[in-house]
Amino acid sequence: MLYFILRRILLLIPVVIGLTVIMFAIARLLPGDPVSLAAGPNATQSEIDALAREFGLDQPIWTQYFDYLSGLLHGDLGTSLLTRRPVAADIAAYLPATLELVIAAMLIAVCIGIPLGLATAVWRNRWPDYLSQVVAIGAISMPRFFLGLLLQLCFAMWLMWLPLGGRLPIIVIPPPTVTGFLTIDSLLAGDMHTFVTALRHLAMPAIAMSLSPLATIMRMMRASTIEVMGQDYVTTARALGLPRAKIILKYIARNAVSATLTVIGLYFGWLLGGTVLVETVFDWPGLGLYATKAIISQDMMPVIGVALVIGLMFVAANLVIDLLYGVINPKVRYS
Amino acid sequence: MTVSKQFNVSRRGLLAMAGAGLAAASFPTQLFAQSGSNILIIASGQDIPNFDPHTATGYSASFFLRNVYDPLVRVSGNPPEPVPGLAESWTMSEDGLTYTFKLNPAAKFHSGNPVTADDVVYSFQRALELAKGNSWMIRGIVTPEGVSAVDAGTVEFKLETPFAAFLQVLPWIFVVEKAAVEANLGDDQGQSWLLTNTAGSGPFQVARFEVGTLYHLARVADAWQPAGGNLDGVIWQIVRETATQRLMLQRGEAHIAVDLTSEDMDSLKDAPGVVRVIEPEYRTFSIKMNTEKGPLADVNLRKAISYATNYQAILDAAGYADLMTGPLPNGILGFNPDLEVYRTDLDKAKEYLAKTEYPEGGLTLKMVHVSGLEQQRRWALIMLDSLKKLNIDLEIQPLKWPDMVAACKSPETFPDLFPVYQTANYGDPDNIAFAAYHSSRNGGWQNAVYHNPEVDALIEAGRAEIDPAKRVEIYGEFQKKVVADAPDIFGVLERRKLGMRDNVKGYHFTPVASNAIEAWPLSL
Amino acid sequence: MSETAQTSEVEIPRPADDRLRRALFRFRQSKLSMLGAAVVAIVLFFTAFGTILAPYPEHVAGAVDTANRFQPPSLTHPFGTNELGQDVLSLVMAGATVSVLAGFGVVLIGTLIGTLVGAVAGFVGGWTDEGLMRLTDLTLTIPSLILAMAIAAALGPGFTNMVIAISLSWWPGYARLVRGEVLAAREEVYVTAARAIGANPSRILFRHILPNVVSPIIVKMSLDMGFAILTVAGLGFIGIGVRPPTPEWGTLLSLSRSYMPDYWWTAMAPGMAMFFAVFGFNLLGDGLRDILDPKARR
Repeated sequence: MLYFILRRILLLIPVVIGLTVIMFAIARLLPGDPVSLAAGPNATQSEIDALAREFGLDQPIWTQYFDYLSGLLHGDLGTSLLTRRPVAADIAAYLPATLELVIAAMLIAVCIGIPLGLATAVWRNRWPDYLSQVVAIGAISMPRFFLGLLLQLCFAMWLMWLPLGGRLPIIVIPPPTVTGFLTIDSLLAGDMHTFVTALRHLAMPAIAMSLSPLATIMRMMRASTIEVMGQDYVTTARALGLPRAKIILKYIARNAVSATLTVIGLYFGWLLGGTVLVETVFDWPGLGLYATKAIISQDMMPVIGVALVIGLMFVAANLVIDLLYGVINPKVRYS
Repeated sequence: MTVSKQFNVSRRGLLAMAGAGLAAASFPTQLFAQSGSNILIIASGQDIPNFDPHTATGYSASFFLRNVYDPLVRVSGNPPEPVPGLAESWTMSEDGLTYTFKLNPAAKFHSGNPVTADDVVYSFQRALELAKGNSWMIRGIVTPEGVSAVDAGTVEFKLETPFAAFLQVLPWIFVVEKAAVEANLGDDQGQSWLLTNTAGSGPFQVARFEVGTLYHLARVADAWQPAGGNLDGVIWQIVRETATQRLMLQRGEAHIAVDLTSEDMDSLKDAPGVVRVIEPEYRTFSIKMNTEKGPLADVNLRKAISYATNYQAILDAAGYADLMTGPLPNGILGFNPDLEVYRTDLDKAKEYLAKTEYPEGGLTLKMVHVSGLEQQRRWALIMLDSLKKLNIDLEIQPLKWPDMVAACKSPETFPDLFPVYQTANYGDPDNIAFAAYHSSRNGGWQNAVYHNPEVDALIEAGRAEIDPAKRVEIYGEFQKKVVADAPDIFGVLERRKLGMRDNVKGYHFTPVASNAIEAWPLSL
Repeated sequence: MSETAQTSEVEIPRPADDRLRRALFRFRQSKLSMLGAAVVAIVLFFTAFGTILAPYPEHVAGAVDTANRFQPPSLTHPFGTNELGQDVLSLVMAGATVSVLAGFGVVLIGTLIGTLVGAVAGFVGGWTDEGLMRLTDLTLTIPSLILAMAIAAALGPGFTNMVIAISLSWWPGYARLVRGEVLAAREEVYVTAARAIGANPSRILFRHILPNVVSPIIVKMSLDMGFAILTVAGLGFIGIGVRPPTPEWGTLLSLSRSYMPDYWWTAMAPGMAMFFAVFGFNLLGDGLRDILDPKARR
């Protein structure tokens, strides 16, 4: 088990190198002149050159790359050309917002998706099942940013029940940072008012994010439940006259969930990179908004940094899911 | 009460934390509690580029500098008049070449040191030497040698040439504390240090900031400025969507929104608790043409296009705006409301088109616009529609602003049509005339290609003349000449559109950079 | 599990048209797939004729009517008019051409690159395979929207640039799929036979192996179409999509954001159109997978 984890972590090294090589190639080989963009409209050529020198952008790309790699060993992700702030610190500040959003969305998706999937499988091929299939595909097809806009229109603009966007109003003092999740931090600080405020801000973006994973998890859960229900041990249990509820919960659900786990892991990583549009709609100060700002000004260091962090979290999420398999299904052995 | 001391300590700590990007998360509770609740929140779409008074530009920077720094003279009222800033009084010599300013003895920097004539001289010299930011306003008029300290409380300017608008440009040259900058000079005149530090004497100072999100200024505990409102602080919050700014205003989450569109103003009409400010301001919108290279080098084609343009549509799309009559903003000194200008007239357009190489049209022109600037996109589409009537195609290319500026460097790269906003930083015809039509500005975005020696001569005569009657005459001639050359499609003057909560007290509109709110007189 | 599915197809050989008929039968049996096919047919109809059928074709070409700005939905303008008095319905109808073609372009280019990479990797094997597949896996870990946005921003706005940018993040899925299929097909009897009679490798690849991996590719393409349309719209929404006056759903939606809530109708038509098109392709793709890709059937 320990060996398994260690090997998987070692495998991250080529991933890091590969990711940075690809992103570097894109950053440097494409047209566009980020330096003059950052230097501003009134900059003279000598000022632009000076800025390029300051950031080492006048060096050959190999030198730039190895400088970046050696910085990476010290946890240095470079410096933003535009704001001149260290990318690592920026990411540390923005990441918790994105993680909070994604985790909240996944919680909604799992808590609703798994029971729904189980239910539709048990009552399969009747009209609620058909209906749920159409609704599920509809949910997957709904553009998240359009859903976000609709929610905003209804609940923030017409009904005015919920705030428009952001994580907290700027005059509310955030709780002391422990996890970086405002909901958890405010609870830890015992500040119920801030907790409720943070939750109200989180609600719409999280719902907008959760719809598509919810539908996918439901469909996966339905499929794996149907598969499990055909297994011999279920037939045996039924033949033994065990109560239906017990069979469903103890034998079917447990096994079906383990098959659904892969999807959850994949989705988690995928959602991390997919928050961009929802963060834009709700002005949610996370990695997506940060990356978008950087992309528009062609400030590549933050973009490389975000891609790297999300890529690694994607890999890490898969590792965690693999480990979870062992907890839920003891038959799995790590090799 | 030792607010000031505590504040300074936490300010330094806060800046360090802001630098690490953690300001929002670790903002100490007591600061807000201490500073009470009179915090004015301004929603704006523009981030503050940096804090250096002599390099930063844009209205967000103007807001910041107006509140954190002091100029010699401020501007106030409608029509705008110079009022005392650091200088409590001033005199001008007969020939208009020598100005003498008496500094207010009460004026002091945030460090507690008094503002002296030395600081003023140093600031003007620094601005001229760096040649960035607003320094173009005084270039060729003030020289580094021409500013001198008569005594600790008196500054004298010997101008190179008489300059009618001198007092009106002074509000944009801010004074830094010489000692503070020299202690952090580095190898770039302290530019690196001033990016995120301040050395000013204004009524507010930086309490915390998060780049791209918010800038919190807190009132200086014993501010030297007289009068003033009851504000404890101001927050400049970056809200990119104008619709969001409007909704925040409606919900009372912001006190002032500065980037509202005409559509926003319409929907705020009956909003309870919201006051709308819709005032004419010297902010022109026009579309520059490439008078040097390509088909538009032919003045007849330019006139044909000027007649074909659908001015009513331009006005409709702009909402709260007025059509321009020629190159100068309506109502400014020397503006001629009876000037004969181009109005939509398809017959005349075709008449002029017949005199060109393309009597039947059949050519494609290129227009660029700032990507994401909705108003410019609309105007580009209106031009596309207008030109179709002359059988001229229009290719529209959205560009990032720096790429637009880069395209201005030579007539070869300058597109056929180039939309430009010009905001007058000072209410004098010279501001627009010089910036937008003088040939010395060629290669820059305000006037990339147009040059006419006669127009140049008139502009120079206009800025050196002090007698208002003679200036009116000169600018009258200037307007006729420019209209005859048709270098621009003269568009609209957009009215300034601000939204305000009705509990903001003490606000008076001044039509000069009014979106860079001066917070000192305001109360909540 | 995959072996059993494969062999069962081989063990019971039947004429091709019979197989097709059975597939069609199964397709018609599935009500959802039929619904999807109908929706996709409508979307494709508008893709082909949307610009012509638009009630105000001049608005599609960029004409403006500023006297009629922000008209609420009515009989003359079923989805109202926008900030320039243009008919929203016309723009959205013409937008179908842009969005669907862009989505199709993305999927097509992605398929071409992916198939090439996957086929070469699977067929050549060894270090080439190892190298290409590592590259594929790496590209998969990069968040695709951020990658596409970065490339599109650097290339500048425009239809072609946008399609290229998204395609460059789109191919890895196909590379994996095709490689897997090629590896399996390599071991088939007919390939061994072709090799035995001395056919050259490229002929074997293109004539014998690739035609047999077409159906999983088609399934994946139809499943991807919806998502590709969404990505195109997403880029437009961020503001790095097409150039004006090209009507594109994401760009239209992003513009309408400034007019909420008073002129909410400017958002409805583009948003619903997007949803409708993606929904159709997803239903269809789901149905096709059940029919053409027996391995994924449950």
